[in-house]
Amino acid sequence: MQVKELTKQYGEKTVVDAVSFDIPKGKVLSLIGPNGAGKSTVMGMISRLIAHDSGLVNFEGKDIGKWKSKELSKRLAILTQTNNIQMKLTVRELVTFGRFPYSGNRITQEDAVIIDRAIEYMELGEFQDRFIDELSGGQRQRALIAMVIAQDTEYVLLDEPTNNLDIYHATNMMKIVRRLCDELGKTVILVLHEINYAAFYSDYICAFKDGKIAKFGTVEEVMTRENLSEIYQVDFEILNIAGKPLSIYY
Amino acid sequence: MNIPAVRSNRKKFLIMVALVFACAVGYMLIGVNLDNAKLFQYAMKIRTPKLIVMLITAFAIGGASIVFQSIINNTIVTPCLLGMNSLYTLIHTSVVFFLGSSSVIAVNANHSFAVDVVLMGIVATVIYSWIFKKTRHNVLYVLLVGTVLTSFFGSIQTTLTRVMDPNEYDSLLNTLVASFSNINTEIILFAVILLAGVIFVLRKELALLDVLTLGKAQAINLGVDYDRCIRRLLLGVTICIAVATAMVGPISFLGLIIANLSRQLFKTFRHSQLIAGSALFGMIVLVGGQLIVEHIYSYAVPVSVFITVGGGLYFLYLLLTRKKV
Repeated sequence: MQVKELTKQYGEKTVVDAVSFDIPKGKVLSLIGPNGAGKSTVMGMISRLIAHDSGLVNFEGKDIGKWKSKELSKRLAILTQTNNIQMKLTVRELVTFGRFPYSGNRITQEDAVIIDRAIEYMELGEFQDRFIDELSGGQRQRALIAMVIAQDTEYVLLDEPTNNLDIYHATNMMKIVRRLCDELGKTVILVLHEINYAAFYSDYICAFKDGKIAKFGTVEEVMTRENLSEIYQVDFEILNIAGKPLSIYY
Repeated sequence: MNIPAVRSNRKKFLIMVALVFACAVGYMLIGVNLDNAKLFQYAMKIRTPKLIVMLITAFAIGGASIVFQSIINNTIVTPCLLGMNSLYTLIHTSVVFFLGSSSVIAVNANHSFAVDVVLMGIVATVIYSWIFKKTRHNVLYVLLVGTVLTSFFGSIQTTLTRVMDPNEYDSLLNTLVASFSNINTEIILFAVILLAGVIFVLRKELALLDVLTLGKAQAINLGVDYDRCIRRLLLGVTICIAVATAMVGPISFLGLIIANLSRQLFKTFRHSQLIAGSALFGMIVLVGGQLIVEHIYSYAVPVSVFITVGGGLYFLYLLLTRKKV
């Protein structure tokens, strides 16, 4: 998956300005940057939720806009921040929707096995008949991830998955992200606000500033004092903990 | 869905079908002279089309309301917002005002129905297909346009009635209240064909309703061509409401009640069940209501009055008991 000269304008304002980068397969890539830097918009365009004005999102040889939505939904899954589901839906029913691109409303025996596995993988067995609106934020997020797993796509896009979660649940979420990549072999792209989660759990970081890429590279390349200070306009110290460069800002 | 819920929903379903059946039988047979074959035949000839019209209306309004609410992703919107009621009122007022109450269009039920359906169809297509595209598929704009048009049509209609001959106004008033009489077989047949056509054309989109209620982002993620799907469904809903309104008059407020009763009773996201439940509730309300109107109030109060009063109270109840806004 490749992004070339991607641009998005809202009226006169250019929010994403000729952004180009390659998405490494089978790795975890985090998009970071200050508010309004364009990282969520880039995510939206990669996932076809937002139409791009110019440029190209090359997905397996074809621009993302030229793919049939249904075909794409078998290869690429996106989870956004806003998931206000109004319906009375149980966890299992939600996860079942992950099979929709394959089987529509008729779930096959094979689908049921995949759904079971996804629920088990997310350790949601005891909750599977509970309604979504009765769950805590962390459990609900896990249920949504289970749905993405059931969707069985090569690419998984997560827009601020740790948003509104406490430290315990946010850390667990990041561990799940790592497992999606290491155990299930998925390419995970996520938008993160918490720099240290990005540093500790991803392979590559793409840092945005003012609609452009400020820095793209491996965690070690991006996580330097100079880079971060320039991107965020705040003083940084980099510490090496557990072999990873983690940052302190003040 | 877990098994107990499926079972209890099936039970509720059977009870509702039984209730509809009881209402229908009651409506057909109460007060009929069973001894005299001629009188019996006469009663059946009058009551059968009315019953069929009520069943069709309940189905059209009930189904359309559920779909409409799911498209907007809000369970307290009523398809009244589409403006078909006030358009109907305006059309009928204009016909009487410009052509007179004795004109062919005002007197002949077939003509009147045809004019209603054609005009509403054109307005529906323009607003809910073309403007929807122009506003970049923003459902809220469409609702806003509908609301503005409702008051626009209403204002013109009020102006016309102010300068209208009082006798003409008197005869007009009768047609502006929802009524199930005076509908012939041809209209019924035509309405059924139209509704069946809409369902057939939209069969693929209707299957996507469950996914649509997960929200735009999720629906797109699961491979739904969201904008196109919403546009077609919106148009279909408007046509269903238009057909029902052209047939019996302004009645779409009923949709709010029956759709929510169905959602409350069945507590599911499955639209096949919700739509069926909504239609069955509509049948019970209409047939049962008409039964009461005819035999207890001896036609003094039209059934739409009950619907509006009851619906208004129920709407308040919904607003006050909703957990989150």
